[in-house]
Amino acid sequence: MNLAEFASSSTFRAATVAAVALSLFVLVLFGFIYWKTDRLLVTRSDHVIALQLQTVAALPNERRLDALHLQLSQDSRDVHFIGLFRADGSRVAGNLERPPATLRLDATVQTVEIIRQRPAGPEQITVQAIGQQLPDGEILVIGRYVDEAIQLLMVVSQALALGLIPALLLCLALGALLSLRAERRISGVNERIQRIVAGSLHERLPVNRGRDPFTQLAGMVNSMLDEIETLIHAIAGVGNDIAHDLRTPLTRARLALERGRNNARTLPELRSVVDKAIASMDQSLAIAAALLRLAEIENSRRSTGFGKVALEELLHEVRDLYAPIAEDKGITLRTDIVHAPIVEGDRDLLMEAVANLVDNAVKFTPRGGQVQITTVSGDGESILRITDTGAGISEHERSAVLRRFYRSDAFRKTPGLGLGLTLVATIAKLHGFRLTIFSGEGCVIEIGFPDASEIKV
Amino acid sequence: MTEFRQNGDVFRYATAGAHLIVSSDQTVPEILQMTKILLIEDDSETAEELVAELTQRGFEVEHAASGIEGLDKARFIKPDLMIVDRMLPGMDGLTIVEALRHDQIRTPVLILSALGAVDDRVRGLRMGGDDYLTKPFAIVELVARIEALLRRPIETRETMLRVGPLELDLIERTARRGEREIELLPREFRLLEYMMQRNEQLLTRAMLLEEVWNYKFVPDTNLVDVHMGRLRHKVDTPGDPPMIHNVRGAGFILRAPS
Repeated sequence: MNLAEFASSSTFRAATVAAVALSLFVLVLFGFIYWKTDRLLVTRSDHVIALQLQTVAALPNERRLDALHLQLSQDSRDVHFIGLFRADGSRVAGNLERPPATLRLDATVQTVEIIRQRPAGPEQITVQAIGQQLPDGEILVIGRYVDEAIQLLMVVSQALALGLIPALLLCLALGALLSLRAERRISGVNERIQRIVAGSLHERLPVNRGRDPFTQLAGMVNSMLDEIETLIHAIAGVGNDIAHDLRTPLTRARLALERGRNNARTLPELRSVVDKAIASMDQSLAIAAALLRLAEIENSRRSTGFGKVALEELLHEVRDLYAPIAEDKGITLRTDIVHAPIVEGDRDLLMEAVANLVDNAVKFTPRGGQVQITTVSGDGESILRITDTGAGISEHERSAVLRRFYRSDAFRKTPGLGLGLTLVATIAKLHGFRLTIFSGEGCVIEIGFPDASEIKV
Repeated sequence: MTEFRQNGDVFRYATAGAHLIVSSDQTVPEILQMTKILLIEDDSETAEELVAELTQRGFEVEHAASGIEGLDKARFIKPDLMIVDRMLPGMDGLTIVEALRHDQIRTPVLILSALGAVDDRVRGLRMGGDDYLTKPFAIVELVARIEALLRRPIETRETMLRVGPLELDLIERTARRGEREIELLPREFRLLEYMMQRNEQLLTRAMLLEEVWNYKFVPDTNLVDVHMGRLRHKVDTPGDPPMIHNVRGAGFILRAPS
């Protein structure tokens, strides 16, 4: 990792941002302390010079000069300014040449500019000053240069330098350390992911001991990878099934066409061959359509097209639809529908599911048999039960029939695509209904509608 | 013109303009007027076959290979019907339909698609009286649906349907053929009503399932044939000239006896 990459890593950037934010905060804090302290010092000094002015003004004329001289002689830091002037502004005593031009003589403390005489020459400084015209016409001015403010600024700056710079450096160092660690782990993970993307699905992300978020994430990704690996193997299996079931009719079509091309002598002969080929192709197309439809239902969201479905009406419709077919086959189709619920669902899909079950039942029941559509109340659910007197589905085949293309060997000769029950299972799953296959006299299939899905009327 | 044989009769089946004419004699039906169909399909081979087939059936067919071209042609040539492939390069065919509808152009549309029809937009399309056909399809299915779209039953206040000797009273819910009263189950009544509204028109099994039984899927079993068999048994009793005809590999036609 080069320096530019490192500086742009998210951990390092976050650390930098934190450091800058911290510095700003500290600066504001110190600024506030400085400002408050400065105010306090100035206020106190103002109070002192106002008091001095009062005291000196109250002294008799002859003692004033002594008091002023005493004051100035005690000022080792050269911060006191005192001036006693005649009414015309000429100096009587003190270290000021003349009264500051902007100073109002109203005995209030003001900020004014004065000239201070230093050995190096005169300099202009800003001081707090107070002035008053005395009863005898003389003007008294007392000023003070609050030099503590400068010392304070120095103290604050030093404190800042001592505290803030090491803190900043510490922040950056910590950020660098953290981003280095994260970077090292991520590059390990990246390496594995690249191998997984390249096709080695058995690879897993490295998992450290401990329970940090990184390890948890890796654990989660690993279990997702387990799931994907299983699914991909399953898809490969389904793919083989699809290939087989699509190829079978296509093989028949190809054979018919090839033989017809070589052997047909008359137009009717050729037509019958073509009809055969079209029928075979229609079968593989029907398989493709059914598979698409399965995918469509599996991908459709639960709520689109959902509404209230009156099961009783739907069941009667299915009965009416299949009654003639059952009759033609010599099968009794009976219904015993009481208290059928109104459920939340997609009417077309539910119709398709029930029709498929009845279709299967009629298809797999021999002549003279019976197919029954019943509704009963179960434990916390309403149950739709479709029973027939066919061969039934043996225990070991029960989960298999819900898979795509599974057709019981016993019924290889019965027309059908082997996708009917898969479709029913998919529709039930989409709605959150229970689908169970039992053995009775023949086959018993139940759809359980949980009471929560019923709409109370 | 297509020929098919049934019980020794030769049927000539031709589409001319907005009319499907089935005649059992040797005369070729007169072509009444040319119906313009606009086909918007990007696959050139499919388009070529469809244009050839529809032209042979007496339609005037215009082809557009892209959505934009199709939209222009739809506005310019004002077709009587449009066949629109759903998956066009860079565009959903339904968008074209929506654009036309937005401009108050009410040309009936038949959408072709390799996608299934569980989509809400497709439901809307069907509610609007247009149709949707999933690829691949049999040509006879396509033609039957074109006919159905071109000859939408006229919304009448007529409460009595009549085809030859057959009468259907929509208020009393009774049916009779000549003097003979026909007892019908509710679903049989609806089936006969649907067929009488579209007499002389080929109705495929899928169309009947969709329209009469409200089915969006085609079950394995020959449901329609069994129900149609029962209806035919009631309508065409022995001795009567048959009115319900089974067109092999295609569907059914209700026709007044000649």
